[in-house]
Amino acid sequence: MHIEIADLRRRFGRVTALDGVDLTVTGGMFGLLGTNGAGKTTLMRILAGVLPATSGRVIAGGHDLSTRAGRVAVQRRLGYLPQDLGLYPDLTPTEFLDYVGLLKGLDDRAARRRQAGELLDLVGLSDVAGRKLKGFSGGMRRRVGIAQALLGDPALLIVDEPTVGLDPEERIRFRTLLSSLADARTVLLSTHIVEDVAQTCRQTAVLAAGRVLFTGAVTDLTARAEGVTWEIVTPGPPPTDGVVVSAIARADGTHYRVVSPRPPAPDAVLVTPSLEEGYVALMRSSVPTPVG
Amino acid sequence: MNALLAVARYEFRMQARKRSLWIAATLLGGALIVLQGDRGPRSLPMGTPAREVMGTWALLFAILMPLAYGMLLADRLVRDRKLRVEPLLESLPHAPATRLAGKYLGGVAACALPGLAALLLAAITELPTRHDPALIGWALVAFLVVTLPGIAMVAGFALVCPVIVSVPLFRVLFVGYWFWGNLLTPEFLPSLTGTLLTPIGDYGATWLLANDHTALFAGTPGFLPFLRPDPSAATAALSAVVVVLCGLIPLAAAALVAHRNARQTWPSKA
Repeated sequence: MHIEIADLRRRFGRVTALDGVDLTVTGGMFGLLGTNGAGKTTLMRILAGVLPATSGRVIAGGHDLSTRAGRVAVQRRLGYLPQDLGLYPDLTPTEFLDYVGLLKGLDDRAARRRQAGELLDLVGLSDVAGRKLKGFSGGMRRRVGIAQALLGDPALLIVDEPTVGLDPEERIRFRTLLSSLADARTVLLSTHIVEDVAQTCRQTAVLAAGRVLFTGAVTDLTARAEGVTWEIVTPGPPPTDGVVVSAIARADGTHYRVVSPRPPAPDAVLVTPSLEEGYVALMRSSVPTPVG
Repeated sequence: MNALLAVARYEFRMQARKRSLWIAATLLGGALIVLQGDRGPRSLPMGTPAREVMGTWALLFAILMPLAYGMLLADRLVRDRKLRVEPLLESLPHAPATRLAGKYLGGVAACALPGLAALLLAAITELPTRHDPALIGWALVAFLVVTLPGIAMVAGFALVCPVIVSVPLFRVLFVGYWFWGNLLTPEFLPSLTGTLLTPIGDYGATWLLANDHTALFAGTPGFLPFLRPDPSAATAALSAVVVVLCGLIPLAAAALVAHRNARQTWPSKA
């Protein structure tokens, strides 16, 4: 599903959550990065038709989201996993999926139940399909969340901070699942975990203070840190110049990776940047001048 | 229509599974049976018509059991937000008013279940001594004219009002209203007691008793005299309809607000 966003604004009283967002999302997996409070969730909620914008234009799959008819048309083809989704504790996963399926308009009972069973199998919950949701862990609840989002085979899947609170194994499993789903649909992944985008998306956008700082290929975002990413090995304190992205203690001293326009120490070595470093370079306001 | 039935079905299922519904209904119903006194159904002499017996039982249960329903229904709408299910539900392609109506129907059905069970149990326990199978039929009639309209009214207010005044405050206000508007003698203070608007089912029960006495205060002179016609079959039916319609008022207002919010559009230029 093609999404075109133009000059989108959303204010909450005096607070501006989105300040003229322009963005184009095509098929496949699209990562939306940004710090907490950058406006990602607000944007996701507008795209899901849950929250009206203050002004601006959003066309998704040819439907104008500023109208009720447009929102409903998109919602018919939408799978949405909100940030911090809650579930009804007194229902089982099968019942919860059946309920959401009914509200999504899946009226054929046999088909709905079959799909719910398949999805619970896909997310590894078929063994507990008849257990009440109140005893489920955070990871299990997220899996129920993704299963409900996939009901009805949506053309657009919006997942907001899906890996928060998951253990590393579950996170990897979840990312793999999302990637596999993006073959046949548009998946919008909102996260502040750069690694999630690095591992799953080809296209990304970075939001900060309600504005789009970057939009393009993940490789282009990584390239923002080329020539400004350094490694220093020292037994001493971390360098003060630049942003320390990682610090790994080894036998020969601590290996620091630093994003800085200048060499943070005389023996600093330029290294190939990661997406995280590209993100840090971008967030350091203006693009640093490459060295060398 | 399917969305409405889906919400109603699952709302009913979730609520009927709540232990608190059954515990509260059992405790209040049990207390009323034990403490009914000499005006209660157990004191009715042998040979009392079945409709009068079941009318008295229905009124007895209606004195306090709706309090439990009001308390329990008070969090049904706000709990979607509390449980953080609301954003998901709002992203689904059905009208918010449909969800509201479904919750109402499901809530009414769930609360009606212990109400109906209590009356049928009462009829069954009366059967061995009164030997009148009509007790079962009159239990159903009493449920329809005394119990159900009251539940329908309580449900409408209990679903919607807590969105405005918070759940605890609604519960306090509801208890106050219940005693003031249903049980307080009309001569004592201006109140809705004894009017067509009382969800306790006073007019319905009085019609079932079919004697010269009112069940409680139906038609007793007092505040708002035009709402206090003489009890009869017609006024019993009128009271049931009016009580149900009263419960639909907050629901209709909330549905209107939700509908307007859902239809909200925004300009393409700031």
